[in-house]
Amino acid sequence: MRAKTLVPVVLALAVIALGAAPASAQKVVKIGDLGSKVGVFEGYGKYQTMAIQMAVEELNAKGGVLGHKIEIISEDDETKPAPAVRKAEKLILQDDVKLLIGAVSSGSTLAVMDVTKKHKVIHWNSVSCAEFMRTTKFHKYYFSNQPDSRMQATGLAKYIVDKMGKKVYIFYTDYAMGQSDGRQFKTALEKLGGDVVGVAGAPLDTKDFSPWFGAINQANPDVLFVAFAGTDSLRLMTQLHSFGMTRKYKLAGIDCFLLQQDLPAIAEPMEGFVQLAHFSPYNQDKNMQAFNARFKKRFGTDANIMAGAYDAVLFWAAAAEKVGSFDADRIAEAQEGMCLDNTHIGRQCIRKEDHQVVMDMHLYQVKGGKNLPIATIAGKDSIGEPMVGKDPVEGFTWEIKKKN
Amino acid sequence: MDYLVAVLLPQLLHGLVFGAALGLLALGLTVIFGLLGVMNFAHGELYMLGAYAGIVVVGVTHSFWVALIVAPLLVGVIGAVTEVATLRPLYRREPLYGLILTFGLALAFREAVRQIFGGDMRRILPPIPGSTPLLGMTYPNYRLFLLAISSVLLLAIWLFFTKTRAGIVVRAAVQDAEMLDGLGVDVPRVFTLTFAGAAALAAVAGLLLAPIFTVYPQMGVEMILLAFIVVILGGMGSITGSVVAAFIIGIAQSLLTLWMNPQRVAIAIFGIMIVVLVVRPRGLFGREGVLE
Repeated sequence: MRAKTLVPVVLALAVIALGAAPASAQKVVKIGDLGSKVGVFEGYGKYQTMAIQMAVEELNAKGGVLGHKIEIISEDDETKPAPAVRKAEKLILQDDVKLLIGAVSSGSTLAVMDVTKKHKVIHWNSVSCAEFMRTTKFHKYYFSNQPDSRMQATGLAKYIVDKMGKKVYIFYTDYAMGQSDGRQFKTALEKLGGDVVGVAGAPLDTKDFSPWFGAINQANPDVLFVAFAGTDSLRLMTQLHSFGMTRKYKLAGIDCFLLQQDLPAIAEPMEGFVQLAHFSPYNQDKNMQAFNARFKKRFGTDANIMAGAYDAVLFWAAAAEKVGSFDADRIAEAQEGMCLDNTHIGRQCIRKEDHQVVMDMHLYQVKGGKNLPIATIAGKDSIGEPMVGKDPVEGFTWEIKKKN
Repeated sequence: MDYLVAVLLPQLLHGLVFGAALGLLALGLTVIFGLLGVMNFAHGELYMLGAYAGIVVVGVTHSFWVALIVAPLLVGVIGAVTEVATLRPLYRREPLYGLILTFGLALAFREAVRQIFGGDMRRILPPIPGSTPLLGMTYPNYRLFLLAISSVLLLAIWLFFTKTRAGIVVRAAVQDAEMLDGLGVDVPRVFTLTFAGAAALAAVAGLLLAPIFTVYPQMGVEMILLAFIVVILGGMGSITGSVVAAFIIGIAQSLLTLWMNPQRVAIAIFGIMIVVLVVRPRGLFGREGVLE
């Protein structure tokens, strides 16, 4: 009796299993999403994941890459180099990812570059901007579509000298990213005849910036250039405002200073702030508007500069399709010089020599909590000469030139 | 002269503001040490709980001022329950047990908050907006209020311990708990209430500093290290010492930032502590077995 009942059950299960087999048979290729999921850069990590997710969903809807369904494995690097290296090793050795995107913090990315170089894995970055990535730390598998410090400094320094004032105080977050931004900005500004009246660095995740305000006030600059990001920027702006310094000085900052989503909450301190970025949902560029509409439909919020991670997936997928393989060497070679028209800002091309995407940047000014475009800087004018293997800080000094 | 007015004086003011708030935190720590002989590693988490309790109360009542009363009371109750349930059974054991226990409590409190509120940074808006022209700069009104209220609280606590019967009972318990017990005082109750009071004081500091430093689960870890330095520098168990040391550390940190990298400032502060300990091993004001 019992055996008789079992037979149809087993048969039914077998049919279900066989029926399910074709659907689950599609091969899978994994990609790694490494970034800050908590802490000072949490917002950037969150939007990086969303951008990757959107690209993967769109590609999977069209059949994936080389017939493989793309699967994302996300890891949190706690915004620290040591966990970033550990997680990158895990993504590569355990999960066998064919593409690694991240990290958010430049310090983490610099550390992860050694891992991707060692294991020969395609590595994209869409937010870290320290100048070492396309110079001394550059390797065959590393690609970036984030304007690095040199590109940003060239664009921003000219606008500041021309339109905002010549006496500038540089205040930066004292680790790889901020040091790099401060250095490149000082170099660019002095080259253009600007006068750096003071420099100071505050550690990452500083809670109270007021101890630095006395020195800034004493230097009495026209412009305060700030190279911070994430919750550091939020705290800094709130405190500068409470000390009346947002009204006293003109303020300008780097592209990752704050995400558009952060602005409404501190609209008053940020009013008039000039920020360089490659994307804003308030830019009327048709490509940005089209991308933002899709992003908003999918996630219910505007896109921001982290949308670069979307392009990273597209470039990698296009290169894999082109060479018909997930082989990292062949993909890296295919990506060199590759252009795509469907990125979040339209057409982008990867420069062969240093794997830097040549992208136009825009200057935005915050008005009523919105980043509104005020000028455009062509990518070809700001990217500078390739400096692979050369020390980008050779001969640099933080010393302030004394004027008589 | 310009340098003095434009840079040194404002910096001194920053140091005073921070020192006063740090004093509130260190005071609770020193009282607990003096009375219970326990280095309370969970004190930073009580400070953090004060800020989170404040967020909850502000969320419900929309008033920072109500939160400033209610949040310390809530944390005081948590402190009392913690003392009765976990610390009391360990009083007769070596101090090491208390140290390990409070270390565990710190982890438990921190992770519990992370589970409930998440790891994100949260903000509490300053209840007093605006700023006042002062020393050639614009100084936020809230920071001036913070300096005033912290100073008043520090003075009130000093008066409590020196002028009131309850304060004298606590000090007597530090010197000789058994004798006090023999005189008919409910000593365990004194211990519980003192621990609760110190917890509430930490919560006041947490909530008062929240509009400046923001709120996140790790916030206590960063402050407790400084509070320990203050307590050691001032003399373990010395109320006056803690207050003086808090201002010394606050001002030293603020002034040194002018001339050196903040990481070096942290080293310099440890340096100050080491020098004082070498010269005066009991700290600036410490006397064994005396809370004063």
